[in-house]
Amino acid sequence: MTAHLLTGGCQCGAVRYALDQRPENVHLCHCRMCQKAVGGPFAVICPVLKPAFSVTRGAISFFMSSDVGRRGFCSACGTPLTFDYPDGDDIGVLVGSLDEPGRVPPVIQYGNESRVAWYSGLTQLPGDHPTYADDPEMRQRISSTSHQHPDHDTDQWPPEGTGS
Amino acid sequence: MAETRMAGGCQCGAVRYAITPPLVNPSICHCRMCQKAFGAFYAPLVGVPLDKFEMTRGTLSIFRSSDVVERGFCKDCGTPLTFRNLESGEMNVSIGSLDDPKAVKPIVQYGIEGRIPWVGELNALPGMETEEDSDASPEHYARIRLSNHQHPDHDTGVWPPDGGSSR
Repeated sequence: MTAHLLTGGCQCGAVRYALDQRPENVHLCHCRMCQKAVGGPFAVICPVLKPAFSVTRGAISFFMSSDVGRRGFCSACGTPLTFDYPDGDDIGVLVGSLDEPGRVPPVIQYGNESRVAWYSGLTQLPGDHPTYADDPEMRQRISSTSHQHPDHDTDQWPPEGTGS
Repeated sequence: MAETRMAGGCQCGAVRYAITPPLVNPSICHCRMCQKAFGAFYAPLVGVPLDKFEMTRGTLSIFRSSDVVERGFCKDCGTPLTFRNLESGEMNVSIGSLDDPKAVKPIVQYGIEGRIPWVGELNALPGMETEEDSDASPEHYARIRLSNHQHPDHDTGVWPPDGGSSR
């Protein structure tokens, strides 16, 4: 397995990719097209030059959100993976699809015309407890049956003898 | 908080749904499973009782992220649409897929163990509107506007409008 600077992929593991360059101008985009594409209040896009991006497993599916831009995703689990202009020099990966999303802090925000008013207060909301902290049995059932690909490359997925 | 029926769907418009109050726990979830499923720092979700969720066009594709949970998405454009704990009586939809995401303000955070340390600082970053970005030309933005294949933020009788493929 080749060592890459950063790796990532979709939730189910059918699509994996690698970056051989540190993303530049990592940005939030609040525009309505990014919101709807990712089902969230904003997209976080991490651009690299196209030669530094490679698909290491499976194939990305694309939706042309306009004649100019396209959005890559996994058709087996839906994870939003990329945004690029086919005519452009770079391709952006969606931050949460990286195996270590905390390594690429954003530096700027775009699309402020459709920024949701409540977004700045989200991290002050109540809820400072881990997932199912009050229900260890449920936590165990989810973690022991998780079909999510691990946050590193794998030689084979799903593990031999199992179906995802 | 909206008091009436709310519609939503995927980017390409192949899948449309509607929810009706009562809304349950509008939230953001930072857990690593929601991060990866949404390709994002957190998943914004709002629940409704199962009988208050209806499909109005197309079908959800499902990825079962564990034995307990199903995540619904559009197989044609990838938009993450739903989250369902199979043992609960609720369906959750992604707030960004609602036609008016501003209308549903989260009130609680989940999955704190996966929270990115600096995620609370993002709103202080410098920012601009889409067409203020001078790295691209006015013609570039005009091309996007004129060829936008995103479904509009309201229900439609026919989609795509010309009856042909939107892709």
